[in-house]
Amino acid sequence: MNVPSTFFGWVSFLLDRYGQLFLQGTGITLLVALTGTILGFVIGLLVAIVRTVPLPKGPWYRKLPLKLVHFLLNVYIEVFRGTPMIVQSMVIYYGSMMIGLIKRGTPVLPAAILIVSINTGAYMAEIIRGGIISVDKGQKEAATAIGMTHWQAMVHVVLPQAVRNIMPSIGNEFVVNIKDSSVLNVISLNELYFTGKSAAGNYGRYFEAFFVIACIYLVLTFSVTRLLRLLERKMDGKKNYTIYGSQSDSHSSITVNEEEA
Amino acid sequence: MEKILEIQHLEKHFGDHVVLKDISFSVEKGDVICIIGSSGSGKSTLLRCINFLEEPTGGEILYHGKNAETACKRTIYNSKVGMVFQSFNLFGNHTVLENCMLGQMQVLKASRADAEKRALTYLQRVGMDAYRAARPAQLSGGQKQRVAIARALCMEPEVLLFDEPTSALDPEMVGEVLNVMQDLASAGMTMLIVTHEMSFARDVASRVLFMDGGVIVEDAPPQQLFSQPKQPRTQEFLKRVLARQL
Ligand SMILES: Nc1ncnc2c1ncn2[C@@H]1O[C@H](COP(=O)(O)OP(=O)(O)OP(=O)(O)O)[C@@H](O)[C@H]1O
Ligand SMILES: [Mg+2]
Repeated sequence: MNVPSTFFGWVSFLLDRYGQLFLQGTGITLLVALTGTILGFVIGLLVAIVRTVPLPKGPWYRKLPLKLVHFLLNVYIEVFRGTPMIVQSMVIYYGSMMIGLIKRGTPVLPAAILIVSINTGAYMAEIIRGGIISVDKGQKEAATAIGMTHWQAMVHVVLPQAVRNIMPSIGNEFVVNIKDSSVLNVISLNELYFTGKSAAGNYGRYFEAFFVIACIYLVLTFSVTRLLRLLERKMDGKKNYTIYGSQSDSHSSITVNEEEA
Repeated sequence: MEKILEIQHLEKHFGDHVVLKDISFSVEKGDVICIIGSSGSGKSTLLRCINFLEEPTGGEILYHGKNAETACKRTIYNSKVGMVFQSFNLFGNHTVLENCMLGQMQVLKASRADAEKRALTYLQRVGMDAYRAARPAQLSGGQKQRVAIARALCMEPEVLLFDEPTSALDPEMVGEVLNVMQDLASAGMTMLIVTHEMSFARDVASRVLFMDGGVIVEDAPPQQLFSQPKQPRTQEFLKRVLARQL
């Protein structure tokens, strides 16, 4: 077998041999990061909403259930933000194996997505709480004052604006997940870093293999950041609006551009 | 005349800080009641207690003769007792039209078509129908406040509470909002208005309440309160304020 002798020679050699594997790893990494971020967002949203529910009036025993829930949610957030995801992976994965939830040989992908989701959820809960606070509380009061319930006000007024305000942070979590899902190699998930490690180990070419892997990560994170920018701009809606009718002609309309107006 | 609201011995304290003491008065259909008083006298807190944005700590509010907290669901009561805020508080994620439709659809369960029709009627009434597609951030203060009034009117409330509706406006926009309110008053709308606009209170109000230190010091028709205030505290306040206005 003729072995390459230069850096670029090795890079193209590895790409040739392991390109398919790297592509698969990239797919797994994206899948875990994306579903983990989305599920984490849903978890965070639920946690944040529950934490904004006002305590019921009345004696202490009516407040107790909600207080207990708030306490447990705080514990969840503290624990998952206070320990590294690599440790959480080990504890959750081998823990579920010990209690018989999963067996050796069952696919690790669901477990991996679960770990990333729970971990992301803890961060998202705090991010979304910040987003809710960032929406002027006068709007919540105005919604209450026309008779909307807490939930209606949250769903139709507060949360849409909260989510828009925290889009940069949500995108950040996604990028972090693309990178940090690499720790899931400890439970043998065949994500991008894991495939790099396999490729490198076979020929002992760690630098070249991980150089390729680094480039793939960078392309991923860079394109995701750009895509999220576009999404944000889309969420902001149209920059112009139409003024309908005028005193002289009720069917006329003019379009005002925000920058000019 | 039919009494819509009766405030009886209302009290509110925040911790040890007593803000409202033994407030009693009633609001009859068609009343335009202006509440005046110096800063910190509890005017906003009074309005906020009337629609339960703040929980009163004592006393009772009667709505058509029945306890407002038990007579009907809080959301229904709130839709019948509307509020216009100093800082407009329009929903930033909705257009002008949607701002006026949301409450109708969510609270009154109106259909989209009906909600839109009514929203346009009231937007026209405040002269803002042309801006139905604009977002709150694209409007001037006076325009925002007129939309906020239309939004409140869309719930067809029995009483409208106004908390200093013109205080956050540039002087040249105060007129357009006061004009809308004056129109509502002549159309028979029942209103409770906290204001620093003394000439508006004098010209439009059917009654003026002067508040100081959490109590209603004087409750009289505007001619009487402005020209022959009975209480020394009212006289002093008016002397201070009228020197600047009117
Ligand atoms: N949420 C609150 N917590 C504690 N104290 C409060 C709260 N809201 C109002 N207060 C106090 O209640 C008193 C009355 O306030 P309020 O806002 O009702 O006055 P106001 O008459 O509306 O004054 P202004 O003309 O400045 O609007 C003030 O001393 C204020 O500090
Ligand atoms: Mg006030």
